[in-house]
Amino acid sequence: MFEVIIGLEVHVQLNTKTKLFCSCPTSFNHTQNTNTCPTCLALPGALPVFNREALHKAVMFGTAIDATINRTSYFDRKSYFYPDSPSAYQITQLYTPVVEHGHLMIDFEDASQKRIRINRAHIEADAGKNIHEGDISKVDLNRAGTPLLEIVSEPDMRSADEAILYLKKLHSIVRYLDISDANMQEGSFRVDVNVSIRPKGEEKLYTRVEIKNINSFRFIQKAIEIEVARQIEAWEDGVYASEIVQETRLFDQAKQETRSMRGKEEAADYRYFPEPDLLKAVVDDAMFAAATQIPELPDAKRERFVQEYAMNAYNAEVITSLPEMARYFETMVALGASAKNSVTWLTVELLGRLKNGVTIETSPVRAATLSMIVKRIEDGTISGKAAKEVLDYLMEHDAEVDAVIEKLGLKQVSDSGALEKIVDEVLLANPDKVAEYRSGKDKLFGFFVGQVMKASKGSANPQSVNDIVKAKLG
Amino acid sequence: MQVDDTLLSKLENLSYLKVSDDKRAEIIAQMDKMIAFVDNLSELDTSRIEGSFAMSDTATRLREDTPFCDTRINDDILMHAPRSDEHFFIVPKIIE
Repeated sequence: MFEVIIGLEVHVQLNTKTKLFCSCPTSFNHTQNTNTCPTCLALPGALPVFNREALHKAVMFGTAIDATINRTSYFDRKSYFYPDSPSAYQITQLYTPVVEHGHLMIDFEDASQKRIRINRAHIEADAGKNIHEGDISKVDLNRAGTPLLEIVSEPDMRSADEAILYLKKLHSIVRYLDISDANMQEGSFRVDVNVSIRPKGEEKLYTRVEIKNINSFRFIQKAIEIEVARQIEAWEDGVYASEIVQETRLFDQAKQETRSMRGKEEAADYRYFPEPDLLKAVVDDAMFAAATQIPELPDAKRERFVQEYAMNAYNAEVITSLPEMARYFETMVALGASAKNSVTWLTVELLGRLKNGVTIETSPVRAATLSMIVKRIEDGTISGKAAKEVLDYLMEHDAEVDAVIEKLGLKQVSDSGALEKIVDEVLLANPDKVAEYRSGKDKLFGFFVGQVMKASKGSANPQSVNDIVKAKLG
Repeated sequence: MQVDDTLLSKLENLSYLKVSDDKRAEIIAQMDKMIAFVDNLSELDTSRIEGSFAMSDTATRLREDTPFCDTRINDDILMHAPRSDEHFFIVPKIIE
């Protein structure tokens, strides 16, 4: 039997307005190379000036994972030669990163938890992008110099499932802190996976293989499973030592395999040394005080929802998975909808209607509107069934809830005069059933209520109908 | 370090510079001298100096996160690049 050892490196793009060492905007989709200047193009003589906000956000992250914040950290120079880096080096933090020795908890379905240690989180500059075309490559340096936070876990995960739980928790924390868009498809949350195996019971770590840049949770899961299978097979075939080497591999989604990217004989020599163009980075008292005041994190919020709203663990998990979702829910409740109905109408009715890439953030129905729909059910104005029609309508049209109820004629009749008239008609039309009921056939009560609801075309308030039918049949 | 014609060719390649034949011997000799000059530094005993040592003990200056970019500058830089097209820098094909 084998044990799987997984460590993860995540590059999170910090959502600052400007680059790490110059004032060029970090916004994307601009014409290539327009967000560049002598500093990020590495022209001789141009010097880096550190972005305050990047340091602030790194300290926020360190606080969230209960880590040591190094009030003094240093930059180092990592040399490599590639056209996406005009300086031929990357400024990073190797020896003294800003954040060290943190951890986060992952939650299993049976409510048990596991602590995953985070070795470090350091600040570094991103590279530009290359587009390969025939016998040339086009270089766009708009992204060059964008701030990254590289978050390195300890090899504490023992399965692909644990790795995914860790990544989802990390993703959620980053989103709650609002330090990154953390969009995997757009590359603002990039994951490198280190995988090795060892016979169960052994303490020694064997050869680790790195799988780079996989851009969805599903593919990461798959890539790990496939790589683990490859290593186990090599072990069992007696070719582990020759087949499994320390290297970087790519996950090929179409072929469902991992493939060698560069061999160890080409292992890069990065010639790290302290960055001479920057002095030490110091988190002063004012920044430390401000950056350690962080918003409520997903775990705390989930706990609170369970306590405060008597929510079950599953619903609390779903609602707190994204800060936008939690905010949506809390707005609904703050505006007067009950927590119980808000959960259902948000997680079942609204989420069920969001399609084609529409998210909770871009939903045409905002929290205030959905809250109003729920309140109109709760005050008896409309039935739950009618509310679904109102929601359907509002997914397509921009309008006020009350106006839509009016327009679609969905208002429940609670007016006892009108309801009594309908009840009388129903009773008159069914004299035999009335007689049967009065002679003890209690089950017919539902029949009368049903007939009244039908006669009112569903617009009658069921509670009022119940009361009136009960009174009339006396 | 041995500076020879091979190294000079490599540097020409990396720097996009071309050294004419009649200057090669002179430049090789000068580079040799430069390296010898820098080698003087190895006489200093740095064994008790931290890697993070800097001439100044002050912290690096922090910049406010306010965007500014003068696109005329990058237009100019692209214009002077050995090859550019549609505001891209163009480089020889990179073998992945």
